[in-house]
Amino acid sequence: MLLLLAVLGMAFDLGRIYIARNEAQIFTDAASMAAAAKLDGTAAGIARARDAVANLPDRWNLGTSEFKGVVIEFSADGAKWESDPKDASGMKLARVIAPDNNLEITFLRAVGGPERFRIAARSAAAKDPVRLIE
Amino acid sequence: MLELALSAAVMVSFLAGTFQFGYTFYVYNQLVTAVGNGARYAATRTYRAATAQDVERGATAIRNMVVFGDARPAKDATPAVANLTANQVDVRWTKDPGGVPTAVDVSIREFSVNAVFKTFKFTGRPGVEFPYVGKYSPSENEPDPSGDKPGPLGSKE
Repeated sequence: MLLLLAVLGMAFDLGRIYIARNEAQIFTDAASMAAAAKLDGTAAGIARARDAVANLPDRWNLGTSEFKGVVIEFSADGAKWESDPKDASGMKLARVIAPDNNLEITFLRAVGGPERFRIAARSAAAKDPVRLIE
Repeated sequence: MLELALSAAVMVSFLAGTFQFGYTFYVYNQLVTAVGNGARYAATRTYRAATAQDVERGATAIRNMVVFGDARPAKDATPAVANLTANQVDVRWTKDPGGVPTAVDVSIREFSVNAVFKTFKFTGRPGVEFPYVGKYSPSENEPDPSGDKPGPLGSKE
């Protein structure tokens, strides 16, 4: 019985994990591009970048759950990232991290697996032209 | 004998359910990947809108990218997801009041997964929205898709 549950868990839970990872990666790709597109060297541009990410309708967990706890960071050179930069003038890169999407495990936990699985994704985009760089 | 019959019934239904969900999730994951690739491509390509035909040709290229992973696929190209056709892909543009595209939404209109024991139908999902960051060119024409490498959808214009 445990073996059957493990096989079912592999198909069901791992299938959902792979889908959620894919959805999260697509979201961070879209969000980082949306944020980078709004950067114009001003604090207002940073605020617009945050709004653009917040207004993206993309979801995860088979398209049913909103992304929560999304982190948006900005950088001038790709080395130092700041979520709230004091000087917005040199910001050319935007990075979005969806760090905390907890997928509830249905079957694998019955055979010793975790109750939840954390799915994280991260993307970065540059402006002029807006392109994904990470 | 009775025990065998009972346990076999339980095992077969268990394995059937495992296959159903496993295969359906596998196909859904393929759809998510295909839609994501198409939306990424749509977000960065030049939006040519000299005529309504140019806009439609652009949408066709995006649908081909979703289905075949190539905007201008070869005639004998096989879809990235079995039984997925370009007609099942929706491409919707969000535009500002001036008609300039600001975002593109790519989704699967309707798709059925035949998991042998049960058929699962997806309507309007998976779908993703990307900001439009490409070049807006309202006076430019889309290249004629019936060129060197005609695509399955766009070659009969």
